[in-house]
Amino acid sequence: MKVLNRRKMIQVNGVLFLLLILSALGSSLLGPVPLDLVRALENMFSPDANAEILFRTRLPRVLLGIAIGGGMAACGTVLQALLRNPLACPQMLGVSGGASLGGILGLIFFPYWLLPIAGGLFGEISWVPLTAFVGALLSMVLIYRFSLFHGRLHPYHLLLSGVIFNSFIAAVIMFLNSIVDFYQAQGLLFWLMGSLSTRAYLTVGFIWAYIVFGFLWLWTKGLSLNLITLGEEAAMQLGVETAALQRQIFVASSLMIGAMVSVSGMIGFVGLMIPHVMRLIVGSDHRLLLPASFLAGGIFLCWADTLARILLAPAELPVGIITAFFGGPFFLFLLYREGKKLAV
Amino acid sequence: MNPAIRIDDLSFAYKDKPVFDGISLSVDKGEMVGLIGPNGSGKTTLLKIFSAILTGSGEVRLNGRNIQTYGRRELSRLFAMVPQDNQILFPYTVAEIVLMGRASYHSPLALEGERDLKIARASMELTDSLSFSERYLHELSGGEKQRVIIARALAQEPEILLLDEPSAFLDLKHQVQIFELMRRLNRERGLTIVAALHDLNLAALFFPRLILLRAGKIYRDGSPKEVLTEKTIEEVYGISVRVEPDPSGEKPQLFICPSP
Amino acid sequence: MLRGPQHERRTNNKFKLPTFVLRPRSKDSDRFLAVCQAMNHWKRILSVYFFAVSLLIVSRGNIFAAEAPSPQRVVSLAPSVTETVFALGFGSRLVGVTTYCDYPAEARRLPKIGGFMNPSLEVIVAKKPDLVIGVNTATDPAKAREMERLGLKVALISVTSLNDILTGIKSIARLMGSPQRGEKLVGAIEADIQYIKKRVAGAPRRPVLLAVGIRPLVVVGGSNFIDQLITLAGGENIAGNSAQPWLNLPEEYVVAKAPQVIIEAGMGSERQQSGNRWGDLKSVPAVANGRVYSYQSDKILRPGPRVGEALAELARLIHPECFTSPANSKPNGESRCESS
Repeated sequence: MKVLNRRKMIQVNGVLFLLLILSALGSSLLGPVPLDLVRALENMFSPDANAEILFRTRLPRVLLGIAIGGGMAACGTVLQALLRNPLACPQMLGVSGGASLGGILGLIFFPYWLLPIAGGLFGEISWVPLTAFVGALLSMVLIYRFSLFHGRLHPYHLLLSGVIFNSFIAAVIMFLNSIVDFYQAQGLLFWLMGSLSTRAYLTVGFIWAYIVFGFLWLWTKGLSLNLITLGEEAAMQLGVETAALQRQIFVASSLMIGAMVSVSGMIGFVGLMIPHVMRLIVGSDHRLLLPASFLAGGIFLCWADTLARILLAPAELPVGIITAFFGGPFFLFLLYREGKKLAV
Repeated sequence: MNPAIRIDDLSFAYKDKPVFDGISLSVDKGEMVGLIGPNGSGKTTLLKIFSAILTGSGEVRLNGRNIQTYGRRELSRLFAMVPQDNQILFPYTVAEIVLMGRASYHSPLALEGERDLKIARASMELTDSLSFSERYLHELSGGEKQRVIIARALAQEPEILLLDEPSAFLDLKHQVQIFELMRRLNRERGLTIVAALHDLNLAALFFPRLILLRAGKIYRDGSPKEVLTEKTIEEVYGISVRVEPDPSGEKPQLFICPSP
Repeated sequence: MLRGPQHERRTNNKFKLPTFVLRPRSKDSDRFLAVCQAMNHWKRILSVYFFAVSLLIVSRGNIFAAEAPSPQRVVSLAPSVTETVFALGFGSRLVGVTTYCDYPAEARRLPKIGGFMNPSLEVIVAKKPDLVIGVNTATDPAKAREMERLGLKVALISVTSLNDILTGIKSIARLMGSPQRGEKLVGAIEADIQYIKKRVAGAPRRPVLLAVGIRPLVVVGGSNFIDQLITLAGGENIAGNSAQPWLNLPEEYVVAKAPQVIIEAGMGSERQQSGNRWGDLKSVPAVANGRVYSYQSDKILRPGPRVGEALAELARLIHPECFTSPANSKPNGESRCESS
């Protein structure tokens, strides 16, 4: 009887982890600008162009890409289970809309304010991620209140509130975009489309801690996630405190999504596609699907960002375009090959 | 002696639609009870109240303890429910589904162990579903799916088995098979069984005790002979039937007399 | 020479006057004839007059068609156009400007017709303008066509390159009815440009980064008049090889191209903070030498009549050493800024 066992867990996760390390290395070495690795390593702490390219402009991006790709994929997996909907993705919760709006407001009103944190090694952190995160928190609370009925977060209400909230936010963002000046509008647009551009290790570190912690917590809920996909009543009868689980997962994934969007804008498609791809490859057991999606998401976004930097050099394409452009056909190909595995 | 399930003065309403109005009943350990009644009489609702999915006013006791004092994990080791419909949107294999029944027996952080696999396998054998254990659930027919769900319920090693119209999608052979299985489990393992049934004849053949629900109240409670009379059927279902004993002489069978 | 009534009649016929059949001469007819003669005189004079006037009308009519009476009510759809109209001395004719038109100060008091990218069609039409001027980079061509369909005269000026801007100024002057003012203004701007070119002639080309947004990093690209200004100011736009006018630049590119001057032209930036923003990239010469400047955006970013001033300011930022003192200059006005 083929079931999930220790060996499969170690094998799959081991391979993915290895691929992740290789991707990180590869992405650090590739870019629109040629890099002299030896010189970069030699001059790690002195002002050398190669060292700065590698350690100050590329490495933070790569690390951020891994964290955000993994986080988005993990949240997408969890949300598809929670909402019992294969089309669910992190955007649907409405939290990303709130974060986007908060970020836009920050960009409009104080784009150049910086947190009074020492520069140098850790880099500068602007106010924008903070305003974005505040936006995320507010929208999370709002949607929570809208969807809470008798102590239960019904998936239907969650989905609906999220979609409506997002539409409303989109309208507000369009409005803001139309009243700012031309150059600000350009900046807003680029921010909205998502970008992994960062030089602040402090930000990267913070996001890493946040997302890894969140992911590990979600991983412990893997079994319950399996059960909850069977239906709310079936899950209850199999021993899951569904009401509590729904609330916890909503809060955890909202916080994670809010943090990610605050820093990088909304990078779509990863959270929708990666869980399905991994489901076709490793099955639907969330105890394996979650870590596999997390690692695969990191790999995917890492390479997507590399392509975003290289394709139209010197310009940088918004990474969300790459994820959709290359992710879509790959997913279709996989669907064609393994389609029968997906429930009708 | 503590009855397996006991409810006292239960009232329940969906929003403003009342379902039960102060009913009381008790089911002893090892009993095999069939809930019958027309659509909307509350059979499914009663099962859900038994399994703590719904809560009404009044008291529900399982094994002497108030049902509210139980945690879900504990409850799922105590009873298992086989619901009427199953909408599973994600691609799980039969083996994975049945193994989910073992969820409350091992730590959530651990994978299933040897014993879990053994019990799952045994459950599938009992329900004649081991042969398609590697197939995906959505590839199966309605009846095969039903047997898998029953196997999952059995894998929970429950003391009480609740079933909501278990024969709904099964063909005749499998209907009989399932009821014979239930009878066997009841006799050999002392499994308490409460099932909501729509087929009165099968109910009469296999269930020693029938509870007839009507308009939120218990209309009749007793052996099939006592409950299934022509007069009662006429009053509750509104159709006229002829009741005759079956070949063994013990159990009544209904013959429907449609209007000419 | 008049010989008799018959001749007169014939002569009269030349002037297309009604002919009379004259009865045999009598005293009345003599008087009548005298009156007719006098009338003929006047008629002659009148006809000549009418002939001259019609000639004048026909010829002048053509002139009117080629150069309509100069528009008295003008709507501007872009700040650069507003500045140009004011610079040409026709500011009083503006009846509608965008909400971003803030230079010169009088422009702020003018009635507004909407934003830069989305002017209000209704408000524009309500102003009953003789002429509406927009720019190719921002004005929606569909809106322009709509305005034409509603009977308005619309002109779109191209501002893609420096040349386009100067040509555009001349076109606006022509449209306003005074091409000579346009020539004069453009001449002044070109003189400014030439002056700057000479002053930075000896200096080595400096790699320059001109950013309009920091997070994300949006910079001036190749097909942009600002790129041309940078080149004229003695600099080299590090993103100049791209075909886009604005682009999102990855930071590693900045480090690799090692600009010696970084100019941040975003809105509301503060001089103090700009140094910190690039503080960790010490290998970039601009950062190491503290040559990161904030610059108020309007002058540099508007493709209007102040491009000459913008160029001068850019040149002073890029090659300050070429502008230090007259002692630095050679006798012919060129400067001695060979040092970097």
